[in-house]
Amino acid sequence: MKIALCSSFVPFLNSGARYIVEWLEIMLVKEGHQVERVYLPEVDVPDLLFQQMAAFRWIDLSAADRVICFRPQAHLISHPHKILWFIHHLRSFYDLWDNDQYRGFPDDTKHRGLRKALHEADTSAIQEATRVFSNSRVVSDRLKQFNGVESEVLYPPVLHPERFYCHGYNDEIVCVCRLEHHKRQHLLIEAMQYTRTPVRLRLCGLSSGQDYPAYLKRLIEELNVGEKVALEERWISEQEKVEYLANCLAAAYLPVDEDSYGYPSIEASHASKALITTPDAGGVLELVQDGVNGFVAEATPKDLAAAMDKLFADKNMAARMGRNALNRIDEMNISWSHVLRRLLA
Amino acid sequence: MKVILFTPAIKASAIGRMACLVTRALVAMGHAVVVVRAESKSLLSAPTHDFDVEMVRWDDDRGVTAAAAHADAVVYQIGDNFPYHEGCIEWMRRIPGVVCLHDFFLGHLFYSWAEKNRETATSLLRQWYGEEGARIFFDPSSNPDFIARTWNVAPMTEWICSQAIGVITHSRWGTPRVIRSCTGPVAVVPLAYDAPGGFPVGPTPSHRQTNTFRLLTIGHINPNKRVASVIRAIGSSPILRAQCVYRLVGHIQPSAVILLSALASSLRVNLVVTGEADDATLAHAVAEADVVSCLRWPSLEAASASAIEAMLYGKPTIVTDTGFYRELPDDCVEKISQMDEIANVRAALERLFGDPVARASLGRRAKQWANSTYSARDYARQLIDINAISVKSRPSAGAKVFFKNVMKNWGASDELLRGEGLLMASTAN
Amino acid sequence: MKVLIVNNMAPFVWGGAEELAVNLQKNLIIAGHQSEILRIPFQWEPATRIPSQMLMVRAFELANADHVIALKFPAFYIRHPNKTLWLLHQYRQAYDLYDAGQTNLPPDQTGADIRSLIRNADNETFAESRRIFTNSEVTRQRLAKYNGFDATVLLPPINDAELFVGKATGDYIFAGGRINGMKRQNMLLEALSRADSRVKLIIAGPPDVFADGEQLKETVARLGLEDRVKLDIRFLPRDTYAEYLTNAAAVAYLPFDEDSLGYVAMEAATAGKALITTSDSGGILGLVKHRETGWVADPTPEALAEAMNAVYADIAVTRAYGSSARALWHSFNIDWPNTVETLLR
Repeated sequence: MKIALCSSFVPFLNSGARYIVEWLEIMLVKEGHQVERVYLPEVDVPDLLFQQMAAFRWIDLSAADRVICFRPQAHLISHPHKILWFIHHLRSFYDLWDNDQYRGFPDDTKHRGLRKALHEADTSAIQEATRVFSNSRVVSDRLKQFNGVESEVLYPPVLHPERFYCHGYNDEIVCVCRLEHHKRQHLLIEAMQYTRTPVRLRLCGLSSGQDYPAYLKRLIEELNVGEKVALEERWISEQEKVEYLANCLAAAYLPVDEDSYGYPSIEASHASKALITTPDAGGVLELVQDGVNGFVAEATPKDLAAAMDKLFADKNMAARMGRNALNRIDEMNISWSHVLRRLLA
Repeated sequence: MKVILFTPAIKASAIGRMACLVTRALVAMGHAVVVVRAESKSLLSAPTHDFDVEMVRWDDDRGVTAAAAHADAVVYQIGDNFPYHEGCIEWMRRIPGVVCLHDFFLGHLFYSWAEKNRETATSLLRQWYGEEGARIFFDPSSNPDFIARTWNVAPMTEWICSQAIGVITHSRWGTPRVIRSCTGPVAVVPLAYDAPGGFPVGPTPSHRQTNTFRLLTIGHINPNKRVASVIRAIGSSPILRAQCVYRLVGHIQPSAVILLSALASSLRVNLVVTGEADDATLAHAVAEADVVSCLRWPSLEAASASAIEAMLYGKPTIVTDTGFYRELPDDCVEKISQMDEIANVRAALERLFGDPVARASLGRRAKQWANSTYSARDYARQLIDINAISVKSRPSAGAKVFFKNVMKNWGASDELLRGEGLLMASTAN
Repeated sequence: MKVLIVNNMAPFVWGGAEELAVNLQKNLIIAGHQSEILRIPFQWEPATRIPSQMLMVRAFELANADHVIALKFPAFYIRHPNKTLWLLHQYRQAYDLYDAGQTNLPPDQTGADIRSLIRNADNETFAESRRIFTNSEVTRQRLAKYNGFDATVLLPPINDAELFVGKATGDYIFAGGRINGMKRQNMLLEALSRADSRVKLIIAGPPDVFADGEQLKETVARLGLEDRVKLDIRFLPRDTYAEYLTNAAAVAYLPFDEDSLGYVAMEAATAGKALITTSDSGGILGLVKHRETGWVADPTPEALAEAMNAVYADIAVTRAYGSSARALWHSFNIDWPNTVETLLR
């Protein structure tokens, strides 16, 4: 089949949203399909929204048998066989509307009108789809709440999961992901003040700016936890990541209200490692079951420290939870074969 | 909601009166209203209707800007009268809002505004009406009668409606131009009006002794009120000549007084010219009248305040079968076809004179219908509604403007702009 | 610098322009920049769709790019303060092909309106561009003639020069590149049937449509050329293609009126092979000088046959022509580092 994968993007910004598209492309090509990746630019400026949306509306992909759309406003593309693998809305107009900080523009008549118009346009475009998938329960709930649309959760697998393996359980809690404020690595550093076991913390990743990593470094110094925290602000290769996860005690991933469970969680699970997260992490909670394949600790340094200590103190438990984490993947039917089967049905 | 309402406020303005009613209705519904007085500076010292809300002058730049900054809804009252609506035109360009369109024909408004904006005016004329429109508008040589030469070719409706984010108007007949030029929603809502109280009104007092048949025309007496035709109609009927007193109450030019009096006199018609009168006199005249004549030709307004008033007072009313009047229920007013006008007026008046019972029913039905239709509360509610819809349609309208401008920069022909290949598809539309 | 390359996309079609974009990206990165390619789906049928496609590109908002290099209509309408054009194609059907009556623009007022629209919009884009380069002299001339803008010719380098080192001078003439009516491989076969019996031909490359390949086979059969022609009709692996070319006696490339030099010609010159072309082939005439670097024949089978015979008449001369072709090509100084530097000036 000729399949077009459509998403919006910001040039030179490598977000997680790209992986879901590009890995799907690899898997589809492997199955023998012809795939065209359509990335179109999009900027979330309220006054420019509707003209950009019109532009998406004019895209002609009739040469494709099927079109799969990911990030907004790609779902506006018109096609007789349009499938949505919906990863998030323009959140400032949806679930983040009530949050003055994140909204970024005033809650006034003009923007309320814009919000209404956007909801209607989105709903209309989503309803055109032959099938609507989402990447998490969280997103499905939002689609239902705001657009009145039912959707099927299709969890995004990681590419070549067979790369991940478990070698053992050392003394490190590992968090391999971008160093950003909303990923909350600072909470993990703060937790290290309160740990009572020799458990260690390793944070690796790049940042979009300099402020947050600098803040983390300062924090480590101020709290005097430099001995037990390794902060690597650099590009981590896939191989390095596999190694860190293969050997670590457990992983931690506690973003603020993320749309999906996030690749770091599932990568750790493939490496048979338990996951520490928090109740406000969003989609991660669809993966992590407290006490089964990880801990859902309160988002406070003390509670996080306690979770880390528990794992260190009982490596058997850590291993058992790690095995559960691996099983959880199958339980949730997170696999490429499932994804392909559903998308191509 | 916080509403900012641009309107003439002076007592002499019927639109001002209507705006006052709507303002009070809005306040009663729990909204906050600020009124911006739109009349020309020389009129700003004249007494106003009693709006009972904060009022700002349109030339108070800071005051208006401050009021608008907090507004949820911006509304402009527009009528074909520059001295009353100057402030609206000035602010419409800067703060887009919903327009309440009282007249479909805005030629006089535009003409006066054009005096200080000749170049823009000419290009606007060209844009909407082509070279032809631009040529004849200011040039009396084709027809010295301004209305006659412009009302069909360049009525200027588009000029105002294209600047509005939504339009409320008061009858259907002129809406095609509105719809074509306004990118936002258009609604037809019966004009908010009430009968100014003070005197008992209804069918004529039964205690009146004489058999006099009192016919009344009120308002600014100008040729389109067909006074001369009515005089001729009465003059052609022996019965009417004998019994009818035709009274005119309202501002009238001295030259017109002379002309009409001479005409009446020559035809032995009993014409009483009262001229401008205070509220009390006016109300009394209405109370006394057996029939009210609201004839109009040409009829260019969206709604007739005087016809509505007459109906609210329960008066049998004769109207010209055109425009706003045509849309009134057949059993509430007596409609006169413009063709063969004088004969038709005569026949209608004779009929009404001869059948007091029918007259009374007509008046009663008119009052009933008018009471339930011309509601200020309903108008206020629809004003709030259309504002919400307008605000929602703006993003899409804004996108269209963007594309239209790009196309224009590329020299796109009108055909291309309208072309089917240019699927202006935002899914909301 | 973050350099965004902007090109059209005809979904599921991959051709020379796409290769060029990829190689430009590769070489920008080699030069130390970050580079991505934005491919914008463009639908030009029916012609009445074209205005919407132009507006679509105009409505896209680009963030986060320092420099844009745009290659074609309508991709070059993308708005950016730092936009360089490397014009591979204007919409010829609004210009020279319109004059030649070979256009999809309708022959009525609408067609004229669209043509006028394109011209005005093109002029606006040319005026707002920082520099304009074209990929051939022909394109440069057309731009000057129809739009009145000056441009500099910047010939695209070949992509993997190391593969094209001349080896033996074989006994065949090689005709590489896409197979379709415009490339006129059929005329070569007609010429072969009129040439000396010692003249051999290898035609190798992907057919645009299946029928194009079949037609060549039919012609070979009809003319009884089986023992003198090898047809290798498919998308060739690069190595295979290079083998064919570097071992040929000469290389034939005779498209109808093509804008650019043609990769086949450039690769042949890099390998020091004499070139055969026709007088109406267009851009390639910049490289083929009659009896200096090869042969320029009239576009008839008879004239071509003469040229093909000439290859074998004196092999030393043929080799000399090949060397001259290489020298001429090198004198153009067309390599990637130069190209990248020029584009970003």
